[in-house]
Amino acid sequence: MTDPSSSSTLAEIILDGISRGAVYALVALGYTMVYGVLGMINFAHGEIFMIGMFACVYAIGLFSMAWGDHVLINLVLGVLLAMVFSAAYGYANERIAYRRLRKAHVLAPLTSAIGISTFLQYFIFLTVSKEKVQFPRYYSDFLTTHHLTLGSVEITYLRLAILGLTFLIMGGLFYLIHYTRLGIALRATAQDQLMASLVGVPVDKIIAFTFILGSALAAVAGVMVAMYTNVLVFDAGYRVGLKAFTAAILGGIGNVPGAVLGAMILGLTEALTTLQFGSEWNDVSTFAVLMLVLLLRPRGLLGERVADKV
Amino acid sequence: MRKLFLWPGLALIVVVGVALTACQKSGGGGDTIKIGLAAVESGSDAQIGSTMLQGSQIAVDEWNNNETPLKTYHIVTETKQDGSQVQVKLDEWNAKGGVLGKQIETISLDDEGKPDKAVNVAQTLVDDGVVGVLGHLNSGCTIPASRVYNQAGIIQITPGSTNPQYTEQGYPYAFRICGRDDQQGAVAGAFLHDQLKLNKIAILHNKTAYGEGLATEVKKTFESKGGTVVVFDGIGQDENDYSANVSKIKGSGAEAFFWGGMYGQGGPLCVKMRQAGVNIPFVSGDGCFDQSFINTVGASAPDVYLSFGRDYHKIPAAQPFLDKYKAKYGHDEGAYSVYGYDAANVLLTAIAQAQTTDADKVAAVMKSRAFDTILGQVEFDAKGDTKTSGFVIWTIKDGKLQALPDNP
Repeated sequence: MTDPSSSSTLAEIILDGISRGAVYALVALGYTMVYGVLGMINFAHGEIFMIGMFACVYAIGLFSMAWGDHVLINLVLGVLLAMVFSAAYGYANERIAYRRLRKAHVLAPLTSAIGISTFLQYFIFLTVSKEKVQFPRYYSDFLTTHHLTLGSVEITYLRLAILGLTFLIMGGLFYLIHYTRLGIALRATAQDQLMASLVGVPVDKIIAFTFILGSALAAVAGVMVAMYTNVLVFDAGYRVGLKAFTAAILGGIGNVPGAVLGAMILGLTEALTTLQFGSEWNDVSTFAVLMLVLLLRPRGLLGERVADKV
Repeated sequence: MRKLFLWPGLALIVVVGVALTACQKSGGGGDTIKIGLAAVESGSDAQIGSTMLQGSQIAVDEWNNNETPLKTYHIVTETKQDGSQVQVKLDEWNAKGGVLGKQIETISLDDEGKPDKAVNVAQTLVDDGVVGVLGHLNSGCTIPASRVYNQAGIIQITPGSTNPQYTEQGYPYAFRICGRDDQQGAVAGAFLHDQLKLNKIAILHNKTAYGEGLATEVKKTFESKGGTVVVFDGIGQDENDYSANVSKIKGSGAEAFFWGGMYGQGGPLCVKMRQAGVNIPFVSGDGCFDQSFINTVGASAPDVYLSFGRDYHKIPAAQPFLDKYKAKYGHDEGAYSVYGYDAANVLLTAIAQAQTTDADKVAAVMKSRAFDTILGQVEFDAKGDTKTSGFVIWTIKDGKLQALPDNP
């Protein structure tokens, strides 16, 4: 029906796919980091991301009541507050739901994570908003209405920011893990917590740090995605979280560049499926790609955990 | 020591639990008539669902206080056994308020817009002993729930579900007071082809019974008139990123766009299209008929058209209800508040006339006569649909939805 050979449509679709992938990547990085260090899947990560969205929007509302609509100041302060908020939630999750289960069977922390995820969703649902909330467009207008023109394609500033942030975080994490003293401690913890503690690595603090960093980044991702989709809803983290988790597996869970690669492949698959077969087929094609990759490379495209690659 | 306290503690919990359940059961005695109100009251469709139930609640309150304005012009024609017809005023039947000499109790439940939850809600209402149900809103909820109500022999009137399948199932107790999607789709499809004079449209729906059903009807009408549908696609209800769909529509050369779905996605979708420079007419159905849709797309959004029932703001009989609604709930009515109010009045009038809550007799009354409602005379056909449906095209003007002037 549509003429797929139309090059400008194809270029736009590819850009849509990359932007979509970047959104998944921002969340997938959090999944992969926790898995890389702890070897557990933190299913509640999507909810931390969602809490970041809400914290930022409510903070912006509060600031604009307090001293007026200064876009840049309010937005930056809102993001910072959301980071603090999400980090607190992330730390509390680790402290309450995971720490005591660290030595338990692998299914115990996983179940605990699913429990926390559901708990947080409905906690926000009951206490914050049962309905969809809109991101105040006044604050995102600058980013969504201005764009760069590359040939026949227009890229909004927001998409550039999301893409830039994805690669910035990816690079930052990669550098942190592989080239800093903290990274050595992280990798040591990932390999063997007992041995790491014997040589003086403060394992509890390192793990708490992982959660705090991952959660703060999730808050930034949440704000960007809220601007991009314009909508905040209590189960926003669930759907993106599921896709991000799939992306992390696709790229090799625990592997930082792998998460971004997996997310990009996922986003592009969805966009191209929409063009060729219709978005009704998105889930079919996504999971077909996942199965195919896992059959050929059971540990994901770039291989598993950070520690295994040392 | 710990163990010593455990057993008495458990025993206490069990005893209290049993006692509470017993209280609940005995409290449900026969001195009230129970009506179930069921619709989505949370999630993205919360607004349109809860305002619909509030409309029904106002009608029930009026009956309980014996102050329904309908009784003033609501004269019932009773046919005696010898064939002579006697006119009886409703208030003579219900001098004490309520219906059949009893007060009406409403049980309002939230189906969250989810089909599986709707079936649970239906079962709960049946177990609670309701004699009739006003609901649900989403067709995807109304249809599975109707099976439960019909097996239990309970009258169901939906004020807002437009999917034809609901009344096509052949259930004797299923009624609908709004129009059907085949009527709505025909109006929207004809509008696109005949009034906007377009030949190529793109259609997107939300993969639900309502959204996909309506989208299919629009496609059918538009193609039967000789137009082509260049994109016909669905997105999940939890999808928030429409950019790939918008790019595809942009590249397809469509001259207009139809959205089969609810306002929660329709609003942001419309905004996204405009941001991407797709300035073709945006057409949708009753699912977008909500103030929050306008809040999202903007009070002066051009080229936005919605199909919905007739403009009740122009009906004098609606005014007292609208005033009362605003006074009670502090905000304007929702799309289906009037329908919720009408549905409740029809059900209660039918019960009053049947002089029983027996579903067979009430259903027989409902199919036998015309009811005066805010939206005019309502008559049900054999399937339980209304014989007249007044879908017209609305647009956004001065921050409000208004029926197009060339519509009746």
